[in-house]
Amino acid sequence: MKQNIIKRLLQAVFVLLGVALLIFIMLRIVPGNPIATMMGEHADPATIERMTAEFGLDQPAIVQFARYLSGAVRGDFGTSYSLGRPVAALMRQAFGNTLKLAFLAALFAWILGITCGIIAAVKKNGLLDRLFMGLSLLGVSMPVFMVAMLLQYVFAFHLHWLPISGVDGLKSFILPAIALGWNSAGSVSRLVRSTLIEILQEDYIDTARAKGNRQMGVLLRHALRNAMLPVVTMMAIQISSLLSGAVITETIFSINGIGQLAVQAINGRDIPLLQGTALFSTAIVIIGNLLADCLYSVLDPRIRKEA
Amino acid sequence: MKKGICLAASLVLALSGQTALTAQGAFVEEGTLRTAVLYDMSTMDVSKTTDNYMVPLNVFDRLFETKVVGETAEVVKSLCTEYAVSEDGLTYDFEIRSDVVFSNGSALTSSDVKYSFERLLIEARDNTDIPLEVVGGEALMKGEASELAGFTVTDDTHFTVTLNAPNAGFLAELSAPAMSIVDAETMAEVKNFGVEPADTIGSGPYKVTEWEANNHYTLEYNDKYWGEEPSVKKVIVEVIPNAATQNLKFQNRELDIIDLQNLDSTIVQSMYKPVYPDQMISTPKVGMTYLVMNENNEYLKDVRVRRAIGMALDVDLFINGIYNGDAIRENGIIPTGIWAHNDSLEGLPYDPDGAKALLKEAGYSDGEIHFEIAMDSAADSNTQLLCGSISQYLERVGIRASIQSYDHSAWLALRNSGEMDSFVARWGMDYNDPANIMYTFFGSPENTKGRSINYPDTEIMDRVSAARAIVDDAAREAEYQALEQKLIGEDVAWIPLFEELHLYCIGSRVESFTPHWAGFSDFYVTDVVLK
Amino acid sequence: MFGKKKKLMAAGEDVRLKSQIGEAETFWDLMRRLAKENKLAVFSAVVILLFILAAIFAPFLTPYSYKDMDLLNRLSPPSGAHLLGTDEGGRDILTRMLYGSRVSLMIGVLPTLLGMILGAALGIIAGVIGGKTDAIIMRIADITLGFPSMLLAMLIMYTLGGGLMNVVLTLSLVNWASVSRIVRSEAIRLKQNEYVEAARAIGVKKRVILWRHILPNCLPTLIVLFTLNVPSSILTESSLSFLGLGIQVPDASWGLMVNMGRQFLYIAPWLSLVPSAAIMLVVLAFNFLGDGLRDVLDPHQKNQ
Repeated sequence: MKQNIIKRLLQAVFVLLGVALLIFIMLRIVPGNPIATMMGEHADPATIERMTAEFGLDQPAIVQFARYLSGAVRGDFGTSYSLGRPVAALMRQAFGNTLKLAFLAALFAWILGITCGIIAAVKKNGLLDRLFMGLSLLGVSMPVFMVAMLLQYVFAFHLHWLPISGVDGLKSFILPAIALGWNSAGSVSRLVRSTLIEILQEDYIDTARAKGNRQMGVLLRHALRNAMLPVVTMMAIQISSLLSGAVITETIFSINGIGQLAVQAINGRDIPLLQGTALFSTAIVIIGNLLADCLYSVLDPRIRKEA
Repeated sequence: MKKGICLAASLVLALSGQTALTAQGAFVEEGTLRTAVLYDMSTMDVSKTTDNYMVPLNVFDRLFETKVVGETAEVVKSLCTEYAVSEDGLTYDFEIRSDVVFSNGSALTSSDVKYSFERLLIEARDNTDIPLEVVGGEALMKGEASELAGFTVTDDTHFTVTLNAPNAGFLAELSAPAMSIVDAETMAEVKNFGVEPADTIGSGPYKVTEWEANNHYTLEYNDKYWGEEPSVKKVIVEVIPNAATQNLKFQNRELDIIDLQNLDSTIVQSMYKPVYPDQMISTPKVGMTYLVMNENNEYLKDVRVRRAIGMALDVDLFINGIYNGDAIRENGIIPTGIWAHNDSLEGLPYDPDGAKALLKEAGYSDGEIHFEIAMDSAADSNTQLLCGSISQYLERVGIRASIQSYDHSAWLALRNSGEMDSFVARWGMDYNDPANIMYTFFGSPENTKGRSINYPDTEIMDRVSAARAIVDDAAREAEYQALEQKLIGEDVAWIPLFEELHLYCIGSRVESFTPHWAGFSDFYVTDVVLK
Repeated sequence: MFGKKKKLMAAGEDVRLKSQIGEAETFWDLMRRLAKENKLAVFSAVVILLFILAAIFAPFLTPYSYKDMDLLNRLSPPSGAHLLGTDEGGRDILTRMLYGSRVSLMIGVLPTLLGMILGAALGIIAGVIGGKTDAIIMRIADITLGFPSMLLAMLIMYTLGGGLMNVVLTLSLVNWASVSRIVRSEAIRLKQNEYVEAARAIGVKKRVILWRHILPNCLPTLIVLFTLNVPSSILTESSLSFLGLGIQVPDASWGLMVNMGRQFLYIAPWLSLVPSAAIMLVVLAFNFLGDGLRDVLDPHQKNQ
């Protein structure tokens, strides 16, 4: 198992390097000088040229890449063009907010998704099952920003239950977290339902039932434990989709997080910030996947044996 | 299972219960003003920005300020108490107040003014054009000199500035946010001027106390300020990147001033004008929205085609339809609100039949003329509608003008190359002087190429450049107006469209608000009075 | 998502077994069975078909142009002249919906198809050749999957700029990696299978083996994946539009329309609700169709 983990670690490092290179290349192909864009309408050409040199953008691409990479390794992502501060400091500040948002969203998705999934599986084809599955489809098929804006309008603006925007205490994270978790809740409940239905028909459950266990106990003890496997795998996939959704949720609710930084970087043609946020979020996804892999091998005895 | 439901239900209850208690429109300290912006500022340092002026305007002082007095904008004395100009228009003698200290207690003297001029040239990044007019500016910026030769300090409150060429607009330029005065002693000590609030020391009515990037910044009254104590003691500027969220927050009384230019005009029309009729504030955004027709284009080089384009556009309808009437029709180059603006200029009439006839006379068949209108994909929804309308109206007279969206940097690169067929853009005035727009667009072959206009008449361009040096105001005004007549009336070098109005809505806590004279989004907080 | 994929592979096994015994169902057999067993899926297919027809015949269904504005008639509510009202430029919303369905369906289908072809090709190459080629292709897939999909799409759109073809290209590049992984594992599994070994032993060319066995076996999985990826492409485009990176006006796509309309949600809700409803309808239809197809293609699950 140790060997396996080391192998996965090496792979992750390789992937991260590839990501860094890819981001670097993509951002260099964009036509136009980012410095000219940054300095805007009223700048004169001579100044733009000098500033370009100052930011090292006149150097050969390979030199720029080496610099960017060696900086990234030391945690230095350069200075943001549009916010005038070190990218690393901006991301450190933003990461806390994104983490809070993503964690609450995941919590919401898991509690709601698993609860609904279990109920739907037990009452298969019943009214609740149909209702929950219908709702989950609604969740999967609605654009995130529609959910977010509707929640904001109804619960913050009309009912005054929660703040409209901002990062002022836990309460301002509730609506964004629901908006962000809505989609995941839908897919989690569908997954839990289908996995449980499958497991509930297997022999050992029948055996347990025959032994006289009450249905609820059977469910929790045997079925859920086995159903956790695909659910854990899904967790890794969800990190990526939560980060994707955060881009939009954070913008609507004015949460100063990684997603909003990325949007700002795109709007402001802010290459260091874009490089930093993209590399950082990819690193999170990769680390998440790695953790899920490890967790998976702990949970699933078969894999443990193989390794 | 029941446990699960109970858990979920109690969670929901707990959350809603907790939040129902938090009163909305939360408690606001008296004297506090709350407002919002779409994007955070990039810096508080005028040597590094040309568009984040909220802090420079309120935390720093200048020798002069441009203020709205009644209906017009006037240059008024601020730090400067007396001045004299030599007859040749080259030398200015200034006297400044002796009672001014920065918010850290250090006194403001002539050498601080000199340092502030020099700093822009040593940093050599943004806002270098005004100090470059001073003798020795070029040498200092290139590193060939160690100080600004044309700036002589006589004593703590007197100094003399000598210009390379006479410039009648110099005093107006000194009121630009770029010419904010910083403290030479403080600058030598601090490391993060413009980024750290504690390092960003000015002498103005406010000081910066907080700046959390991408979240908010706070200005508080500077009790060492030499002038009158303002009504607003504290300003919180929130960064809210979604305009719809700003709208909800204002409606919910969580903002005291909302900048309505971020919202679509139809929303302003239906959600603001009828609901808050007495709280609407409107001011011209001094500047010009214009349509460029590149004279290097094979069709657009023909003045008859350009004239026909002007006649094909129903600009008044655009103003009423897209901007709900919140714009002033323009017919020249120098916009309303800038001195030397010519009110009596006549624009092209809306006459699609006349336009068709003109095109026929010029020998073009229906649908023969075609070119591209380049649109910046980051343009606001009004500009997008405007481009669409222009294309549609041109099609009616047989001109195919297709709209092509470009990413902002690609758009800028194409325009700077001089090869963009056509585009709509707005120029905002930096200071109250016609040269700021005349020279930028028509002052030299490079300037006109960089705007993709490619105006060919070098003789006229030389006159535009020379007009900057005419000392006599009346003579200068006459020359600019003659040039404007030639450029627009005869040559149709661009199609002037309009000057937008900048609308704000103030909340019930605000008694009065006077926006910046040029209609900037940034404003003097001293011009806000709370109830 | 993952659970589904696992099951889908089982579905492949069944098809193979049948093809070995020689009683493979034809496409039409499958469709007939689908029609008999799953009414919802059939209904969904009809809905999708209707949208496709509307897209094709858009110019004949409306007297208006999708881009001509009527500045004196902005945001007018649904009426006799404009059945679904007009948008912020006074353009007829029904007309834009019809034309938008062209773009949105294309954005749903084309990138999914392209991503699938690319992914399947690379997956087979990786699985069959193995070794270094496999490692390289799979690491590239890892890199692609490492990005949060929205961020990758943003980066590519930032590089390429807006417009329909760039959106299609972007979404294809976002889509391919997961497909290639599935196809690769299928290819590896089959490579070790006895009858493929046998075929190779009697001298059948590698290429022939590929065509005869691996692709048909992946097909059921791919068809279902297709119906799942189409809606996700449509939703991603709407999110890109939210950030101003998708289709550009005056062109119309549902995602763009939802996004342009969202600022009028409180004064003219029909602007964004109409295209939202269309997106939801199509997304649901594809989901139901996918579920139905899976049931038909995978009797194992059906029997439970």
